Amino acid sequence: MAAADRTGPRLQGLDGATAALAVAMAPHVPFVPAWVTLLVVAACAWRWAVDRRGWPLPPRWLRSLAAAAATAAVFVTFRTLNGIEAGTAFLVVMAAAKLLETRGARDLTVLVFIAYFLLYAALLRDQRLPQLPFLLAGAVLATAALMRAHGGASVESARGVLLRTGALVLQALPLAALLFLLFPRLPGPFWGIAAAESARTGLGDEMTPGDISDLSVSGDVAFRVRFAGGLPPPAQRYWRGPVLHEFDGRSWRRPRAQAFARQPVEFRGEPVDYQITLEPTNRPWILALDLPAAWPEREAYRTYDFQLVAPRRLTEVSSYRLRSYPRFVAGVELPQSLRNKDTQLPAEGNPRSRALGRELAARHRDPLAISQALLTMFREQPYVYTLEPPKLAADAIDEFLFETRRGFCEHYAAAFTVVMRAAGVPARVVTGYQGGEFNPIREYLIVRQSDAHAWSEIWVAGRGWLRVDPTAAVAPERVERGLINAVGADEPVPGRLREASEVWLQAELAWDALNDLWNERVVRFNAERQMGLLERLGFDEPDWRTLGLGLAASLAAFFVSLSLYLAWRYREPALDAPARLHAEVARRLRRRRGLVPGTAEGPVSYLERAAAACPDLAGDLAAIRQLYVSLRYGPLPTEGDLRRLKYRVNRLRP
Amino acid sequence: MASPLRRLRSVLDARMQAWIRRRQGLDADPVRLERRRIYILPTPMGLAYAAMVLAMVLGGMNYGNNLGLALAFLLVSLGLVAMHHTHGTLSGLVLRLAGTESAFAGREVAFRLLLENAARAPRQRVELGTGAQPQCVADVPAAGSAPAVLALHAGRRGRVPLERFVVATRHPLGLFRAWAVVHCDYRAIAWPAPAGRGRSPPGVATDTGGAQDRAHGDHDFTGLKPFQAGDSLRRVAWKAYARGQGLHTKQYAGTDVVSHVFDWESLPALGTEARLAQLCRWVLDAHERGEAFGLRLPGVAIEPNVGTAHRERCLNALALFEGGDGRG
Repeated sequence: MAAADRTGPRLQGLDGATAALAVAMAPHVPFVPAWVTLLVVAACAWRWAVDRRGWPLPPRWLRSLAAAAATAAVFVTFRTLNGIEAGTAFLVVMAAAKLLETRGARDLTVLVFIAYFLLYAALLRDQRLPQLPFLLAGAVLATAALMRAHGGASVESARGVLLRTGALVLQALPLAALLFLLFPRLPGPFWGIAAAESARTGLGDEMTPGDISDLSVSGDVAFRVRFAGGLPPPAQRYWRGPVLHEFDGRSWRRPRAQAFARQPVEFRGEPVDYQITLEPTNRPWILALDLPAAWPEREAYRTYDFQLVAPRRLTEVSSYRLRSYPRFVAGVELPQSLRNKDTQLPAEGNPRSRALGRELAARHRDPLAISQALLTMFREQPYVYTLEPPKLAADAIDEFLFETRRGFCEHYAAAFTVVMRAAGVPARVVTGYQGGEFNPIREYLIVRQSDAHAWSEIWVAGRGWLRVDPTAAVAPERVERGLINAVGADEPVPGRLREASEVWLQAELAWDALNDLWNERVVRFNAERQMGLLERLGFDEPDWRTLGLGLAASLAAFFVSLSLYLAWRYREPALDAPARLHAEVARRLRRRRGLVPGTAEGPVSYLERAAAACPDLAGDLAAIRQLYVSLRYGPLPTEGDLRRLKYRVNRLRP
Repeated sequence: MASPLRRLRSVLDARMQAWIRRRQGLDADPVRLERRRIYILPTPMGLAYAAMVLAMVLGGMNYGNNLGLALAFLLVSLGLVAMHHTHGTLSGLVLRLAGTESAFAGREVAFRLLLENAARAPRQRVELGTGAQPQCVADVPAAGSAPAVLALHAGRRGRVPLERFVVATRHPLGLFRAWAVVHCDYRAIAWPAPAGRGRSPPGVATDTGGAQDRAHGDHDFTGLKPFQAGDSLRRVAWKAYARGQGLHTKQYAGTDVVSHVFDWESLPALGTEARLAQLCRWVLDAHERGEAFGLRLPGVAIEPNVGTAHRERCLNALALFEGGDGRG
């Protein structure tokens, strides 16, 4: 081990830099490979052992080898170093390598810069409201580490450095806010965006029994809807997601190829206009109210099975203005290819269900009558709606329909669709959300993951596709009053407390309203809103020049106020009255007679010297000196003495 | 590759120094660092920080990510706040020469400075140096002062001038470096480097009474006794006489005192610097042995005495002898 690889006993700022790295790293842990996290933890441990136990730093060849190997491993894992996932992993690996050669302030600075970048990457991945305290805490911690590396006596204690950094960040916040509001926002990406691969909760393009009940235990918000007019009644709140056509005996799938002609739709009744704001799902689904009639042309399209889809995955909070009609006639003409697809069943399996379908088809000629018979069966026989259905074996539909009879919405929708197909009726499963909770604070509807739902659609000649929700037959409360009121009282419903107090519910709604406000004002702030803000501030037809002007004015105001603050911070204690008057005398004598007070010369000896040098002023100066002495050292200094001194000084004409 | 760049940089540095010198003139002690004489530039780390923040702004624009932009703008603002604090750390600081420490030629003389801070806030990490590298770092408390020492290599004996030094700081974040150049006229003394121990000093002078009389040395003053004819005039208590207390002789204890007078003229074979070096050696040795000694140079006569102040007086006389006083 070379002697150069040993460091001093303790490195000031190492603890701060490791803490900053840990906080900045935390949100990335689920998204980077486990070995990357382990690597950085090991590097931290080794560096701390160097600091505390006097271990040597690893030799240079080992460090270079480890860094090269880790970089190669990141590249092999992600096939790139570009994009948030790979870039983050690469940064973390670099931080680990840097830790093992950290000797001084410069290395610590590099570590802090990496921490800043990790913070930034976490914000690129997620910019919901809870990220704000993370941003501030992370920035304070990283800056504190930077200050500790370049600190002085007053930042030796953790408390001192945090207080001082907090003060710096507070001073920086006003300008940061102004920059945020006024810095010109350019529309559109300048270079390709590597899509984040992170999995998020939400509906997929596949449904296996258990998928939706898994989703339902999450209290996360899926989207929020603001209606232009009145709220549609609960029974109409079907939010249409992926439509699943392909069944393999167990799972339902959305076809990859969408090679079907657009289906005609005829709308009836009153339209519903609304704005939907979706949380990022990393999927392109736009959960429109059944059935969407109008949407922004360039931002979405409607598929042949009436789902609204965005041209790319939604990785940010996205908002759309939509129009839907709850009453409609859709797809009156059914192409043969689509009929084939929606009556398809696996070659074998689930024989009892098929037999039931055939039997119903023989008994009733009308598809609606078949459907009605099936719903009656669900309603009258002991079927139970539950979040915790028993596990199903090979012939899942048969087992559910005829044995366990306990299931969640996906079981009912799947079983209903299979029996309808066996009866020769075109049928499909629609996944989406049903319901929503009205938030009166900002007047919008919250739809959560726990509102995830699955229902069926059957095709009836002359009437097109009709929605049939078999869950409503088993548990009508699910549709009218939501999941909590539909499942048994002993089942846990995470995300929403069943026995929540009114205060808690109100607090939850207030928090959600705050999140909604955050999404609207901060996350979705753009060039358009920027101009709107300037207009509200009273600028007519604002453009980039207005922004430039505003920025210049903000910077000027910032510089002036910060200079004033620093002048106040470094202010020197004020002189008392006699000292001020003496300083005034000295100033005049210095200017008129060139009498400069010596560095070690007190006022009394200075005045004596001045009196000797200027005989014409000797009397005045002697009087001033006596008054000064009695004010300073006299037994009983009086107001009168001070007044007389003032008078004398004012009368002095050197 | 780097060498033309380095040359360009040194030329620019020299230009800048000359400009600062013309602009500020010579400073009088003590020096107060006013706002307009404090310069500030980003450090290499500050430039890296700026590049990082720029990348964040571009990325935030590209991804349309407002929270990322918010972090970037917070860091921009934080950098500007830090710049003001760096500047404020120096602004209003007072520097005062507190003394100098002499040394032998070839070693380093030291200038002791006092950093005074009248303000109500402390000033952290103030670096002082004569060149690009800081020599010492001081934390000056609020309404207090802190010492700092600048060492300067003394090439030859004589006065060693400190013509300029730099006060700088990177506090609080190391992103900016603020500095002020002080042009001063401080001088320390470099003594001649002592010669080797080859030549023994000339014989003991015989004019003092202490050498032979074991009871009467000249180490420690013990009291006065009435003057008797024959007592050394050197031992007369002239102050007491001036006060009208009559003529007395000062009595000293200590015995084996040898008193030398080191004379320039006793070394005719040597050149000026060699003679000074030799005299220096004798002075040092005599002082170390506790012997009294005097010094004779052309135009300088220092009577025999003992003590560190005396030793320093003799060494200074050697340092400043003929040509040690000027800058040439």
